[in-house]
Amino acid sequence: MSGGKGVYSTQTKIVRGLLFLFMLIIALLTLYPIIYVVLGSFKENQELLVGGTSIFPKHFVIDNYIQAWEQADFATYTGNSVYLAFGVMILSLLLSSMAGYVFSRRDFRGKELIYGLFVAFMFINVGSVSLRPLFELAIKLKMNTSLFSVILISAGGGQATYIFLVRGFMNSIPKELDEAAKIDGCTFFQTFYRVMLPVLKPILATVALLSFRGGWNEYILPLVFTMTNQAKRPLTVGVNMLKNAGDGAAAWNIMFAGATIAIIPILFIYICASKYFIEGLTAGAVKG
Amino acid sequence: MSNKEKASLPAKPKRTFAQKLQRANSRGDIATFFMLAPSVLLLLVTSVYPFLWIFRYVCYDYNGMNAYYTGTRNFTRMLSDASFWGSVGHTFEYALLKIVFIIPLALIMAVLMNRKIKGSGLFRGIYFMPTIISTAVSAMVFTFIFAAYNGILNAILRSTGIISQNINWLGDPKTAMWSVIIVAIWGGFGNYMIYFISGMAGISEDVYESAQIDGANGLQTFWKITLPMLSPMLKIILMLAITGAFKDYDSILVLTQGGPNDRTKVMFLYIYQLIFGSNTADPQIGYGTVLSLTAAVIVGLVTAVYQFFARKLDDVM
Repeated sequence: MSGGKGVYSTQTKIVRGLLFLFMLIIALLTLYPIIYVVLGSFKENQELLVGGTSIFPKHFVIDNYIQAWEQADFATYTGNSVYLAFGVMILSLLLSSMAGYVFSRRDFRGKELIYGLFVAFMFINVGSVSLRPLFELAIKLKMNTSLFSVILISAGGGQATYIFLVRGFMNSIPKELDEAAKIDGCTFFQTFYRVMLPVLKPILATVALLSFRGGWNEYILPLVFTMTNQAKRPLTVGVNMLKNAGDGAAAWNIMFAGATIAIIPILFIYICASKYFIEGLTAGAVKG
Repeated sequence: MSNKEKASLPAKPKRTFAQKLQRANSRGDIATFFMLAPSVLLLLVTSVYPFLWIFRYVCYDYNGMNAYYTGTRNFTRMLSDASFWGSVGHTFEYALLKIVFIIPLALIMAVLMNRKIKGSGLFRGIYFMPTIISTAVSAMVFTFIFAAYNGILNAILRSTGIISQNINWLGDPKTAMWSVIIVAIWGGFGNYMIYFISGMAGISEDVYESAQIDGANGLQTFWKITLPMLSPMLKIILMLAITGAFKDYDSILVLTQGGPNDRTKVMFLYIYQLIFGSNTADPQIGYGTVLSLTAAVIVGLVTAVYQFFARKLDDVM
């Protein structure tokens, strides 16, 4: 490059400006659908049905939410989603903290086999077909009308990743801590409960967020389980059922409100704790 | 312990059992068992059992109520099932197009984020945001955006004069696959960007500094340093992207249900509709299990071929 220093730096400035512009455009495109649906949920149905280029509502109404909540059963759906998400989260925390601790700290016959089984079934994927036997099993156990079976299956499908996360974190904690607890008279379980759980807090926060998101966003699984059971549908299923209802066009405003109700809580949690989400993802990808 | 010994020492076994129990308890064996048992039980019920169940119906015609033995008919049917092989083709098309766009985009964004200029944390948070939202809900939002008559995409394109007539994005076989892929890119590139960023965190700052001293510009640094040093990570990420893309079907289920004219029907979506039936047809579970196994084998083969070429690439580079 033969140009003087001044030329070079203007060039750099232009390049940097263009790169920044590019980043900004991608960011706007990423945000656009989210902003569109949130703002759209305050539009009058008439405006939604006519269309138009404006992303902002002509008249700002909250009537859509009242309709969705009272007439379209979204109060029930939201309750189901909350129950499902917390259920999956609590179960995932229990399972992964205990199993991760055992895998990291104990040696016993068959450990490799069990561990191998967890790994193998992370990769064996036969898709939706596995929901059929579980659905039939739930009918046999008379659990098909309860969301609890959905919680069990969702947590069961996700637990391997979380167990590996906890185990990886646990491996980085010196064994001297266990020994000190043992000398102080702690049993194995007490060591886990009193000493290790507090130490595991950061990774358990990640597990909590990821599993909460998993439960909140679950779609095909509750769709299959609540096919004939409208009262148990979570938001993801409820809002999509409205779309497939045939007279879908008429209920755009309710669907916008419903979609917003499904998006906002998880988005709020993400904005408060994005660090844990991103850390969890990288830890899961690298160590898992 | 043999029977003879037991007979000659009648009191001992009982005592040893109690002792054993106590010893196991004090060593934490019992606690270990009860701490691991729930996870193992759930693994057996939710993963192992469904997998074994599949094999039970491969030779049956099963509609959810009655099962009839049909011998090899499911297999012969698969071989001549044009819709299935069509869906396999669509899966490859979808996966290829998704990866061709999503990986470079994710890599570019990761490189830009890695410059750690002011505000890059915020940008990173925004790019990752779609992965937080349920694919079912975001797919539904896109059906509004893509809507033919009152969708905002058509409205914007018309008002700027890019198109003169509304495009039926999801209903026209020419545009449906692209629409589905756009949604997939939107929902997933932040994910892969984060993988790339964490891969780049492993490249030492010194290398970049010495490159800068040698007068390398941004592009040179990328081609000569970032990309080669990232290549082990890139292989893993590509692997994740490939297996992920082959498994996608829930957002397509919401966007087009496989239509129009099966244009966006990927194999796992086709199988889903067989297993659980649709508005127009009863479930065909036996046939679905055969296709599931075939699909799993196809994904396995793709992975193996990819691994083979990735290793070849290692020898060259």
